[in-house]
Amino acid sequence: MTIKSALSTSAFSRRGFLGVAAAAASVPLLAACGGGSASQGAGGTIKFWDMPWGPPAYSDLAKKLTESYVPTGSLGKASYQTIQWNNFYQTFSSAIASKTGPALSTGGGFQAFQFAEQGQIAYADNVISKLKQNGQYNDFLPGTIESQNTDKGYVAVPWSQGPRVVWYRKSLLDRAGVAVPTDWKSWLEAGKALKGIGVSAFGIGAGAGNVFGNQNLLSMMINNGGGLFNEDGRPDVVTDRNIEAMEFVREMVSLGLIDPGAVSYTLDNLSSQWKDKKIGMGWYAPGLPESTGDTSGDLQVASPLAGPHGDKGTVNYIGSIMMYKNTPSQEGSEAFLLWYLGQLKEFWKQDVVGLLPVQQSIVDLPEFQKNKQNVQIIKEWQSVGKPFGTKSPRLFGSLAAVDGGQALSQFAQTMLGARADAKTALTDLQKGIESVTK
Amino acid sequence: MTTTTRSLARARKGVGPGGASGPAGTARKQSTLSRQTGRTFAFLILPSVLLLLLINGYPLIYAGIQALHNGNLLDTGAFVGLDNFSSVLSSEPFWKAARFTLVFTLVGVFGSWLIGLALALVLRTKIPANGLFKVLLLLPWVVPIVVSSTAWNWLTATPTSPVPALFNALGLGTPLFLADPTLAAITVCLFKVWISFPFMMMMISSALASVDNTVYEASSMDGASKWQQFTQITLPLISRSTYISWILMTIFCVNDFPTIYLLTGGGPVDATTSLVVLAYRMVFQNFQTGPGVAIAFLMTMTLVIVSVVLYRQIRKSSTE
Repeated sequence: MTIKSALSTSAFSRRGFLGVAAAAASVPLLAACGGGSASQGAGGTIKFWDMPWGPPAYSDLAKKLTESYVPTGSLGKASYQTIQWNNFYQTFSSAIASKTGPALSTGGGFQAFQFAEQGQIAYADNVISKLKQNGQYNDFLPGTIESQNTDKGYVAVPWSQGPRVVWYRKSLLDRAGVAVPTDWKSWLEAGKALKGIGVSAFGIGAGAGNVFGNQNLLSMMINNGGGLFNEDGRPDVVTDRNIEAMEFVREMVSLGLIDPGAVSYTLDNLSSQWKDKKIGMGWYAPGLPESTGDTSGDLQVASPLAGPHGDKGTVNYIGSIMMYKNTPSQEGSEAFLLWYLGQLKEFWKQDVVGLLPVQQSIVDLPEFQKNKQNVQIIKEWQSVGKPFGTKSPRLFGSLAAVDGGQALSQFAQTMLGARADAKTALTDLQKGIESVTK
Repeated sequence: MTTTTRSLARARKGVGPGGASGPAGTARKQSTLSRQTGRTFAFLILPSVLLLLLINGYPLIYAGIQALHNGNLLDTGAFVGLDNFSSVLSSEPFWKAARFTLVFTLVGVFGSWLIGLALALVLRTKIPANGLFKVLLLLPWVVPIVVSSTAWNWLTATPTSPVPALFNALGLGTPLFLADPTLAAITVCLFKVWISFPFMMMMISSALASVDNTVYEASSMDGASKWQQFTQITLPLISRSTYISWILMTIFCVNDFPTIYLLTGGGPVDATTSLVVLAYRMVFQNFQTGPGVAIAFLMTMTLVIVSVVLYRQIRKSSTE
């Protein structure tokens, strides 16, 4: 039987074929017009999207916890999904726009503020009230819950924090014959000794995708009582304190205390430098020993350094859980969030998260107390930590464009590559921040 | 007129062997038939057209709307006319990125073409393990870009990386290939050539395979030198493939995001920021959708113009 004859004898008529084709073509159209989870009833599943905040064991535990949630009454159960960091903002944006997004999520540091300004966030004021009622509110460490407050209400509830702290490698400081620096002056002196043994005194990197360059330089500014914004929430970068801090960085670059290749170091490069004992000191997030695989105790946390005027400080990123308006039941979202906050201790009990807790009860856990570095960070650094938009009375959405944006990374590369003096680089940064926050 | 030519002429006129059944009747029948056939074809292609409109047309129109507004990924924002285009065209980063894109594309297209051509000519000769070499030479094109960019980063990023260490051992200092703006730009361009030459090699190899060896034999008998054979026979005969490969590689280079972003992220200090990287940063890092999409539109327009010019060259070379 030839193809032609097969077609002619088939019951599949031309009209039938056109009908099927039209139906197939309309599938995407119908899908695009779908209602998403908003159309579900009050008992619909609460979708919780989470970022990979630790090794795979973190996501496994978070999924297990979420799926073990037993709602009361007619409220819906919860489902868990990990969202990768790559292009996460697009993932959230497109899902929210098509009403297929989550009911709750963790996410970027300023994601809740961004989506709140776009009218997509369900404010967490009810949850905060309930936390106050049941006494859990006082369990939160100072400054953590307040960081999520805006003029319209709480955009999210904090669950973790990640202050940038100064780490040092004890064996290298010993080899260089210097004590752990306590201020910038002694850091400079220690740096010269470290350079003598071929080691960098300020481990940093501003290459592709590495935000430590931006964050570390901002930490230096905050350490000197500076920051990127003024009390009115406007960009205010070219200040005496910031200039002084960046001149200190320039001095370290010119003295060769900062690796000249740092300008292009990716996170992997920076991690390798720490691991290969090429870095004696530097700013990093909590969990450096785990990141580098060196948990011998040689990598230790320094006490907050004092700037030239005696200021101490660093940038502290607060991780939060936010609720979205697109939910089968706001009551269900709030119930799940309150329940989940009570389960957070499991992450630190099982040591599967790379961040620090925001609740005192978790800090007090014996499992957490075993990690001396993390305990020291909570004890000494948490109190001097400032939010990214410090001096501004409130955080806001466009901080996301500043934190991960072009202006700050270009500024870090300019500073580390010694391509401009501090004031010029800060002036360019001011313009860059103004362009994305206007 | 012979029988064959007559029948051919009849066939061209659409007249069957039995002769015409009258001019008016035939024309009417043919007209009805062609209307029916046209309608059937229209119905048949309708689903495909609808799909194409959905897949390509909708995003294009939506992007066009975004380019004329000052919104973000969730909200279209206020209509600003051509402000995004004028602000982009008057900004320094755009022209810096445009310059780098031009250099990156020129080096990427012609660098990979030259190496691909040379290797294709070498592989045309009878060398031992020819097939093995072909496979090995294809590897840079085949290996996922994430793997090759990681490898290049490992080779060049730090002072103790193999390539800077080699330079140091040779007494040439310790160049920081990704930290110095000029060296970073050169490294990114070389990386592009490295991953692209196998494609060019394959295109040219297939074109060379269609060139008859007797042409070379005849020219040898006429006393043509190897160089004359290359310039007067080889290049003209593969010109069609060459232009096609240039068009494709130009599009690959201009639209190439991962090569640059994975190796340098567009840095240091924007030295390797191409237009596509700049557009990405505008939209997804600075959350300025309008200007970012405007850049993408400008890129598309430029690519269309370049493609049309090169396509005309192809047609010209076909008619010569």
